Formats: sequence, C-alpha cells, structure tokens
Amino acid sequence: MGHAGGRTDERELVPTGNPQMKTRAFVFTLLAIGLLSAVPADAQQKEITVWSWFVASTMQKSIKAFEAKHPDLKVNYTYYNYSPQYLTALKAAAASNSLPDIIGLQPGSFTQQYREQLAPLNAYAAKEWGDNWTSQVFPVALKQLTMGNPPNDTNYYLLPQECQVLCIWYNKPVFQKLGLSVPKTYAELVEVAKKLTGGGYIPLYQGAADGWQNENVFLMIANQLAPGLAEKAQAGQAPWTSPELVSALEAWSALFKDHVFQEGALGARAYPTGAQLFAQGRIGMMALGSWWMQESKFPPPLSQFVQNMNGFDFFYFPALKEGGQISPPVGGVDIGYGLTKNGEKNPEAWKFLASLVKGEALQEALNDLNDLPSFTGFEPQGDITPNIKEMYNRFIADLPHAENQRIAHPEIGQELDNVLAGVASGTVTPADGLKRVQDVTDKTLK
Amino acid sequence: MRLPAYLYVLPAVLLFVLFVAYPILWVVCESLYGAGASHPGGFVGLNHYWQAFQDPVFWRVLLNMFLWGAITIPVQMVLGGTIAYLIERHTHRSKTFFRVMFFLPVITSVSVVSVVWSQMYAPYYGIIQEYAKLIGLHLSVSPLGEPILVIYALILVNVWQWTGFSMLMYVAGLNNIPGELWDAARIDGAHGLQLATRVIVPLVSPVTRSLLLLGVIGTLQTFPIVHLMTDGGPDHASEIFGTYIFKEGFVIGDTGYASALSTLVLVLALGLSVIQIVFLGARLTPAGAARR
Repeated sequence: MGHAGGRTDERELVPTGNPQMKTRAFVFTLLAIGLLSAVPADAQQKEITVWSWFVASTMQKSIKAFEAKHPDLKVNYTYYNYSPQYLTALKAAAASNSLPDIIGLQPGSFTQQYREQLAPLNAYAAKEWGDNWTSQVFPVALKQLTMGNPPNDTNYYLLPQECQVLCIWYNKPVFQKLGLSVPKTYAELVEVAKKLTGGGYIPLYQGAADGWQNENVFLMIANQLAPGLAEKAQAGQAPWTSPELVSALEAWSALFKDHVFQEGALGARAYPTGAQLFAQGRIGMMALGSWWMQESKFPPPLSQFVQNMNGFDFFYFPALKEGGQISPPVGGVDIGYGLTKNGEKNPEAWKFLASLVKGEALQEALNDLNDLPSFTGFEPQGDITPNIKEMYNRFIADLPHAENQRIAHPEIGQELDNVLAGVASGTVTPADGLKRVQDVTDKTLK
Repeated sequence: MRLPAYLYVLPAVLLFVLFVAYPILWVVCESLYGAGASHPGGFVGLNHYWQAFQDPVFWRVLLNMFLWGAITIPVQMVLGGTIAYLIERHTHRSKTFFRVMFFLPVITSVSVVSVVWSQMYAPYYGIIQEYAKLIGLHLSVSPLGEPILVIYALILVNVWQWTGFSMLMYVAGLNNIPGELWDAARIDGAHGLQLATRVIVPLVSPVTRSLLLLGVIGTLQTFPIVHLMTDGGPDHASEIFGTYIFKEGFVIGDTGYASALSTLVLVLALGLSVIQIVFLGARLTPAGAARR
C-alpha cells in the first residue's frame, strides 16, 4: 500500500496533463533559476573588470597571485586579440560609456585616444609608493608615459607594467653549423645573410607586412645614425627630412636590395609565421625584442632551440652606414594599464592596477618571462636557467639607456609605416617618403 | 482593422530603427563633426567629404574596389556556373561529394584562409615555391608585397573562397529548370555552346542577377581577408574601404573622417543597388522572371 500510495502521490505532484499547472511549474522553475543565479557564489567578493591583449595564461597566473593576497576581490579578465578585436571593443565601449575598470594600453597615440575616459594616476601612485615613485621607473618608460599629452598636462594616464628592448635575435646552432659569427659591419651582415640563404635558411626574417616590425627596425637604424633624432622629429623639434633620417631610410631600403631580409619580405607577417619558423630553426636572424624569451615558457612541445632559449642569443645592428655606430638599445613600454573613469568609481580597481605594475601580479608575469619590468628592483624568479638569466641581465643593463621606440601620434605612425613599405617596394624614394611624414607631422601638430 | 496590422509590423520597424536607421543617422551626424588631428572638435560641415575627394588614398581605394568588383563578380559567376553545370549534368553518385568540396572554402574561417594563402604565396617556404622547385623555378617575390600585384593576389584568394557560393546558387538555378526543357533542347539538337548560351544562361539569369546584386554588396563589405593578409599595404596598394575606414576610425581615431568615408560607401551602395533594382527590378527571382 505504502508503495502504491507513494507512487500515487508522485503522480499527483507531477503536472502531466493540466496546462495551467504546466505554466505555473515553468514560471516557478524560472524564478528559482533566476534567484539562484542572482546570488553570487561568494556574496562578499567584489569584482574588478580588466580588458587587454595581454597573454591570457600569464594574466591568469597574475590574477591568481593577486586574489590569493586579496581573497575578498575577484578579477574578471577579458582577453582580446589586439587588432581588430581589442581596438574595436574599446572604441565601442568608450562610445557607450561601458569601459571596464582597467584597460591595457601602450603609451602615445593609443593612450591619447582614450585620455578623456582615463583617470590621472599621479596621486594614486604617490599615495601607494611615495612621492619619489617615479625614480623607480626606467627613464625611457617614464618619458613615454606623457607622450602626446597636451602642453602642460603632466598627468600619467597609464602606468607601465613591462618594458622591452629591441634587438636582432639569431639562431646559435645555425650560425655554428655555417661557421658564422655575429656581424660587426654592414658588409659582414650582408655576407652572413648570403651564407644563410646559401645554406637553405631564411637570412634576416622581416615581417614587413606588419607596420610595427618595420617601425622597430627603422628606429634601430635611425638611432644608430642620430640617437634621439626620430623622437625630436615626431615632436616637431627637428625635420624628418634631416640628412641622417634620409640616410637611415636608405639603409632600410638597402636591407631589402642586398637581400639581408628574405625575398618577399613585404608580404610576410612576423606573427604567427615568422615566429613559428624562427622557433623551428628555419630562420637565421629576426628583429624582435626581449619578449622573445617567453617562447621558452610556452607549453610543450617546444623545439630544441626554444627550450631554455638554448638556441638563441641577440645582438644589436652593426653600423649600417660607413662611419656609423652600432645601434643603441631602443625600446620602452611594452604594455601598461589605465584606470578608466568607471574604474575610478570602483575603490578596489586601483589595487589590481598597482599589483600589475609593481606587485605580485607583475612578479608572475616576469616569472613567465613575458618581458622586462618597468620598475627597478624586480627580476624573474623560479625556473630560470643561467643562460636566460644572463640574457635577461644584459637586457636590464641596456634598458636604462634605451632610446624611445614609440610614436606619439597615430597619424604620424601610420604615415611612417606607409612610407617604410613604399620605400621597401621601391615606389617611394627615401627623401620623398620623409617629406610625406613631415607633411603629416606638420598637419598633426598644427 | 488597420491598427492590428500596424502592430504586427511594429517589432520589425522598431528593430530596423534601432539597429539600422539610428546607426546610419549617427554616422552621418558624426561625419559633420570634427575628431582627430585634421579637424579637432566642433561642427565642420561637409569638410570631411571635401577632404575625402582631395585624398589620393580615397581614389586609390575606389580604384581597388572597382577592380575587386569587376574581376571577382564575373569570374566567380563563370567559374561557379561552369562547376555547377559539370556537377549537375555530368556527375551522378559523386554529386554531393563535389558540391561539398567546392563549397568548403565558403565555410572555412577567413583567418585560416588568410594564413594558408599568405604561406602559399611566400617565397622560401611557400607551397607554390615547393612545387616551383620541381621544375627548377625560384620565386623571388611574394605577390602580397608587390604594389602592382597585391590587389590581384587578394582577388584570387577571394575568388577561391567564394566561387563555391556562386556554384551553390547555380546548382539551385539549374535544378529549377524543368526536365521537359532539357528534353526539348536535346530534341531540337542544342548542344555545347549553343545549349549553354541559348538555353542555360537565359534560364539561370535570375540567379545571375541575384549574384550580381550580392556581389556588389559583398565587394563594398570586404574587410577581413585584406585586413589579415596585407592590412591595405604596402603603402595603400591594396587599401579598400573596410581597411581604410578601420584605420581612420580605430587606429588613428579620426571618427569624423571615418564616418564621412562610411557615409560615402553607403551612398555608393545605395546608388548601385537602386541602379540594379531599376534595371533588374522584380526579375531577381525565378518567379519574377516568369512574370516577364
């Protein structure tokens, strides 16, 4: 009886036929789901929202370290591919006033586009690290923080997390196999490229379809011929048509004509193609920067060259023109973060930003060899081999003397990219190209 | 009695206003205001439009768009139509296999297509280079890096990707031709070129017209393949409306000029659509063709 009675009760409870009952059950279920989902897993946790193009796996480590120290806070990170996803997402969010608390930025033009939506960080930083905090930032990074600000605006709208130094990486085993050594002159560079090509390798891989890689190489050359002149030119304090810059553009053109760069470079991309080929050992040299060390921290399988960076070392461009000098270190902020006006209303947001640039979150990024710190006194910890440590120390030693690699105004940067491609393809002469850049600079700074 | 009818269309009207009409109006208004270095702040009237007509890149973009449409649309039609005819009339058991194979590029991610084709074009490590080696050839340039060749190299990729769509449309068109017409044509002795030009082409003309309309709209909407493969370079040689507007609006931040360019594209698209509708009108569909 009990069993039978039980089954009967169940049948009565389950509304199988009555439509009204069905509707009520449906509504109750929806309400229950709604109520359950409205209650956060941990009602005490406060959320901080962050958008960036920063490597997601490394950022998750940073977030984990931050949340371990601040168990009452939860960081919600959204990763975007830089272009076009991140650029469009930021633009749309800025237009609809729905930016997250913290956004990833680069100094100069990128930050300037969102200046109106960003909070000045000077007071936050001074309160957190003391009035003298700027003395702990590498000079090139500090200089870049106010790039493009209106006159007399000394506010910092982003704080730098990581810096980089540009260089030419080369594959050591390939060089050894072909009996090559690091070139000390331009003639030697051409000869090395020739031997690499003859040996079946890509000589100096240039992803010249990427404007950023062209800019990096050009600035390395320009700064060896006249340190700091390109920076003055973009600020309107020197003409782009200066003989030294024309000479730099001629040297840039020669790298294509003399087949130092691989044939077909103008149609090639640095990422993913170039990086993959370089990691696989099919390229002799590639113009990248200190961030290349992170390849050794990516999930296996890794090539023999990438493992502990055993197959790689770096050098700076030798003098590309007679009477010139070796390229000085060129670099600056790799990535920084800004606190949005929305983030200003979230009292917890600054804590994560501070951690990202000078705290446990930064330390995790450095441990992953993502790049170099922007503040002094940090170094990667954990599983770092002596080989990597030695290269890291060389970069850190060069960073304080690095020349600026950033262009403050996007109009000037875009035109420089176009001209570099035009000169490389032979459709624009160096002098005409730099006249074009000068015209855009005049118009922009007017 | 009319009120309920209006209520039925209200949701569609609201969606149209919210997601189509309002954004268009917003972009048009934005084009009249300054933003960016060239026209900082304030009402600038039609200055951005004047700037566009004086901008050599704008004319380069127009030329590239013309080449894109003039080559892509007819080539895709001819290839798609021929493939569809061969599949529908000359294959039996393998019909589905070939349809799927030729349609596969259409559903392949543009990112994958762009990476694969960039590598195919590349000297040193490209697939084309590997085959060229077999006959002793050495590629010394990538067409993506040659200002004269780059737009054609991109058009080739686009044709490869979208020919399957034309094929599918023609497959539907060919299957709409009644069996009696094929029989009648055969009895009348039509074959080869005669069959193609006198029977097939006129009967699938509604599909051709639809493809023409879609092709023009698709041309003006082109963006990802160029953005991913060349980003409009080198030095604007492969610049199209999509990449140029993106750079002006999202990279440089000159939303006023980018909006003016977008408005010009809209006007161009409207103009071309009106011309096509006036000349082709209701004859875009097989049903419309029957009403001729």
